[in-house]
Amino acid sequence: MKKIYFLLFVFCILSVSAGLTTAEEPAVTVSTVIETSQDGSHDLPEPLMVLPFVALLIAIATGPIFYHHFWEKNYPAIAMALGSVTIIYYLVVLGDTHSLMHTLAEYLSFIALLASLFIASGGILIKIDRKATPMLNAGILLFGAVIANIIGTTGASMLLIRPFMKINKDRIKPYQIVFFIFIVSNIGGALTPIGDPPLFLGFLRGVEFFWFISNIWYIWLPTILVVTAIFYIIDSRNADDEAESNYSGKIEFQGLKNVGYLLIILISVFIDPGIMSWVPSLAPLPIGIREIIMFSVCYLSYKGADDKILRANEFDFEPIKEVAYLFIGIFATMIPALQLIGHEAKALGDQINAGDFYWATGILSGFLDNAPTYLNFLSAELGKFGMDVNSKADVLSFELAHPLYLQAISVAAVFFGAMTYIGNGPNFMVKSISERAGVKMPSFFAYMVKYSIPILIPIFTLVWLIFYYGKG
Amino acid sequence: MKDLMSSLESNTTGLHYGNRVLLPFKVHILKAIIENDIITDFSLTKHNAHYNITDEFTEIYFHDYKDIKENMSKYETVKLIVVEKGNDIFDLSNHLKISLHFEEHHKLEIEKIDGDILFIE
Repeated sequence: MKKIYFLLFVFCILSVSAGLTTAEEPAVTVSTVIETSQDGSHDLPEPLMVLPFVALLIAIATGPIFYHHFWEKNYPAIAMALGSVTIIYYLVVLGDTHSLMHTLAEYLSFIALLASLFIASGGILIKIDRKATPMLNAGILLFGAVIANIIGTTGASMLLIRPFMKINKDRIKPYQIVFFIFIVSNIGGALTPIGDPPLFLGFLRGVEFFWFISNIWYIWLPTILVVTAIFYIIDSRNADDEAESNYSGKIEFQGLKNVGYLLIILISVFIDPGIMSWVPSLAPLPIGIREIIMFSVCYLSYKGADDKILRANEFDFEPIKEVAYLFIGIFATMIPALQLIGHEAKALGDQINAGDFYWATGILSGFLDNAPTYLNFLSAELGKFGMDVNSKADVLSFELAHPLYLQAISVAAVFFGAMTYIGNGPNFMVKSISERAGVKMPSFFAYMVKYSIPILIPIFTLVWLIFYYGKG
Repeated sequence: MKDLMSSLESNTTGLHYGNRVLLPFKVHILKAIIENDIITDFSLTKHNAHYNITDEFTEIYFHDYKDIKENMSKYETVKLIVVEKGNDIFDLSNHLKISLHFEEHHKLEIEKIDGDILFIE
């Protein structure tokens, strides 16, 4: 039934949008959609149109707590019904198919990357036969933070969450999973465009690949070390009452074939007409060669995976299905919110400094998907300096002339993704895998109240004070 | 009727009908995981699930599911922590982790969970 909802929803957007795309509007592809999304040729939505988004956020926050089983059965229908309200408004009232196609293209890009990393890493089994200690746990988190920049926060999370839980099976507590989400699923991935989707969108716009590592490492490193140090202190107080066992110290790795698939996904990230001119565009489809490769990897890596590994990983599509359904609703309903925010940011550009951009991007990235949020604030920052986000030359000039501004939104978009379960795609997946393994995870609110607000906000405030306060 | 260990060793299967699961041995159930649900309250005042130990088998009702098999994907299982009836429930070494695979024709494969499967008590 869920599949039918989903297919109907995508089909409706595709067919209606394709039908309404007129000769005056350019054909769209993943990259051209991104190029032309901010043209400002359409009316702004009514502020009331943020209500479906607010309703969806409230439902995501309260559903699993207050009406758990109703929510579990009906979240696909709820997410899509609320998304449909926004879609119909854009189609009928604003006549703006462009924003919808842009969002659909971004959603397909987003879910193709997440699904392919999720499925390919599901066919890999890492066994660590070592006694869990706070030091080993901290080491795994640091390792995860580093590889998140090579295989993305999703790939690193999926690869490491099970071994991390297995070595801690006799002393596992929800805080360990929460810190895993903080470090591996979010903050870790701030150094390369592969690390986190917002940086990838910046890269597609013209920010140089190595700009992020050379301009963010000195914020990334102390932040990662501080969060890991807090984890270490808390973890050191977690008594290990496990009976003495013999550990071989062995680390076993199975599923090498799927590592090959992970490499294909990483290479395919760059296969975009905006980056490589020889890559054909598939206009007017809101999908490109890159997404086709990623969806093919989904199929091939699942079909070719070792059955024993899938069984040991208890591989299940539900975590990625949950992300796919919820985020299709989030992507659709947040269009008006993002457009209004982008408009206000541009209008108030002169009064906004780097620190304001840091907080605005950060707070919104915690509740909206961080990729489109980042793009809107990138556009607003360029607008502040009279530049155009659609021009790669302008983006390059901006990167060189105002690195502080670019750094502020890049750091904020990635770091603040850890603030809620919906801040970044892998957060939900890690939560779901943990619950299926028997770990009772904190609710949406408890995650914020007990963990992200008291632990991350002081650290992020410190980042702001040191790097952005009174600057720009 | 076989005891728990010999049932597992001989791969004796159980049965499933809709939301009802029948295990071919007598056990107390301490924890069950079905999808994202972690169930530890089997009291009659709660509607999640409850179990009965009869003279012939143990039956579990998962009230929130009409048909459990429909909710289970290929590699997904229902996981239980059980203690054989008559054994000391307070001795942790008697706690056993088992997984239930929902097969066709109401057949329920029961396996002892090995080290590979992640299941936290």
